[in-house]
Amino acid sequence: MSCTLGEVKNRADFIIYWGGNPAECHPRHFTRYTLTPKGKFIPRGRKDRTMVLVDIRETMSAKAADIFLQVRPGKDFEMLSILRALVKGQRVSPEGVAETGLKLEQLQDLVNRMKAAKFGVLFFGMGLSMTRGKHMNSAAALTLAAELNAFTKFVAMPMRGHGNVTGADVIMRYTTSFPFGIHMGRGYPRFNPGEYSTIDLLVRGDNDATLVLGADPGATMPKPAIEHLKRTPTIVLDPKVTHTSRLSRVHITTAATGITAPGTVYRMDEIPLPLSPPLKSPYPTDEEVMRRIREAVQRKEPWYPVKSDAPQMV
Amino acid sequence: MAGMRFLLMPIRSNKQGQQLNVGKDGDDYIAIVNTMTMHPEDMKELGVVNGATIRVRTEVGDATFQCKEANVPRGLLFVPYGPPTCQLMGGETDGTGMPTSKGWDVEVEVV
Repeated sequence: MSCTLGEVKNRADFIIYWGGNPAECHPRHFTRYTLTPKGKFIPRGRKDRTMVLVDIRETMSAKAADIFLQVRPGKDFEMLSILRALVKGQRVSPEGVAETGLKLEQLQDLVNRMKAAKFGVLFFGMGLSMTRGKHMNSAAALTLAAELNAFTKFVAMPMRGHGNVTGADVIMRYTTSFPFGIHMGRGYPRFNPGEYSTIDLLVRGDNDATLVLGADPGATMPKPAIEHLKRTPTIVLDPKVTHTSRLSRVHITTAATGITAPGTVYRMDEIPLPLSPPLKSPYPTDEEVMRRIREAVQRKEPWYPVKSDAPQMV
Repeated sequence: MAGMRFLLMPIRSNKQGQQLNVGKDGDDYIAIVNTMTMHPEDMKELGVVNGATIRVRTEVGDATFQCKEANVPRGLLFVPYGPPTCQLMGGETDGTGMPTSKGWDVEVEVV
């Protein structure tokens, strides 16, 4: 249950940011889509919108918010559950409310505002999805947004970060049906987060080689995963020498997408945007390097016996 | 002496994002990912001043950071993600594929 940022700009009169700090991490979000722009049904821009920030600390985004709700660390799921109960008019325990660090009046006021909105959006960030509770927190946030549709139009959207992570998810989804954590070992895709996802594979030491494309796990992943990257052959494709390059066996310098290489980037609302490079690069693109590696691999005889009627990779 | 217990919240910051594009070997990036913010009362209790070095330890590993006073809740520490926080992060994903990236229970001691 989501929408594009264009719809947010033109329709959303009630915006919640939960566990995210867009003022610092998505600095154009407020001005291009969610707060200040005037939209088709939001003629007065900022004056026609209410913004609520839920976070464990008063970030720079709090200055832009109409209402700031400071939830206790690790109590997001509890707060979401209470909000869901209040949306349905159910009673909630005072002890449960006290646990969140907020007052019942604050939560009831939020629920009243959510129900009274014409078009509400819940943007949720890593403060919700990558803290204790993880996918359960995200599921609670999505369920809250879904249940609010009994009263008004309400959508939810994750605050995706980094360049084109959404693109990776979208492409994997339409080529394999799954967004990440995909095992192709049997020639067809199998999906199981926790088993085939990158960090789990590395931490358990399941893989004996790693190809890193447009990422720097050496500076972002947990220590046990980095240790495995060091132990086994790692190949990096990146325009720059990264922390991962230094622990890898091979670093291939590639052109920078959007600057010296063409491509398509997916915005966080999954809108594809074509990129036209303004400069030229002496280095090959990621796509070209991958194609050449693939061609070289295809020329090699498989190390295992292949039956003539076995399913073939396309 | 045992150190003080805190909850550590690795975060992202605007300056960190800018410096990512400049390069992770730059002095500015290294300073950003090594600077941990703390409530002034917690700093007093720990016995540290602005700029002091602290050692932060989890079950997985330890790393040192420069301490800086900031308007943050008591009992919580904040530091932008980077190579030092990787040293503290465990590999358990609880079946989700993503490690717990925030809310680590840490022990802090003055170096």
